[in-house]
Amino acid sequence: MTEMATKRGVTFDRVDEDTIRQLIDAFYSKVRADALLGPIFAHAIPGDWGPHLATMRNFWSSVMLTSGRYKGNPVAVHKRLAGVEIGMFDRWLALFGETCRELFAPELAAEFADKAARIAESLKLAMFYRPDRPWPLTVRKDEPENAPESAS
Amino acid sequence: MTFVVTDNCIKCKYMDCVEVCPVDCFYEGENMLVIHPDECIDCGVCEPECPAKAIIADTGPGLENWLKLNAEYAAVWPNITVKREPPSDAKEFDGVPEKYEKFFSPGAGQDD
Repeated sequence: MTEMATKRGVTFDRVDEDTIRQLIDAFYSKVRADALLGPIFAHAIPGDWGPHLATMRNFWSSVMLTSGRYKGNPVAVHKRLAGVEIGMFDRWLALFGETCRELFAPELAAEFADKAARIAESLKLAMFYRPDRPWPLTVRKDEPENAPESAS
Repeated sequence: MTFVVTDNCIKCKYMDCVEVCPVDCFYEGENMLVIHPDECIDCGVCEPECPAKAIIADTGPGLENWLKLNAEYAAVWPNITVKREPPSDAKEFDGVPEKYEKFFSPGAGQDD
């Protein structure tokens, strides 16, 4: 029913488990096809995407519906990821915001986007902040991003 | 950026926050909870859940000492992920001023 509504250009006016599922499916389809983000995710999730999609449904259910369905440590998970550059968060947020606006009424899309931006900032801080560097981190063209302290 | 637990949690310790936190970043002292600033993802889910309105975004003014206290005790107190009975006199202490000076205990809470 709701899926039909979306196809007719009508957006969801409520956040529930079903509309979150549709958001997650649509968003990660875009992520996997994205030139910048696709390879990072393909490396992190080489096999079945089912468990990751379930995790993300639970995560957003916890954040938007306070359901407590997700329990995990996303900071630790992100710190383990290989090849992530700080600018990729902007791409992630742009794709997520776009998908939210396609599926949800504007005020709900804005609520998702606001949460996502705050969470992204926390993950960026956890992954890239160093006490001896200014924040926000500005990336200069002549400087490799996220350069290691010393080459090994 | 993170949220911090502030004065009015002391001796109220309702623990509603721990049920909704997606990342289990609450740590329990004898009479209050704190948030681990490196684990909090700033999702804001806990803020409206606190009956004592003790959870505040750390971007607010004058929270430096609370942020320090949260960081310091999150490192030593046990993690709490399951809500228990709040203190029987929680309501009487809700809103009492300067609870830190009068009642703060550095003692650890019980494990989950």
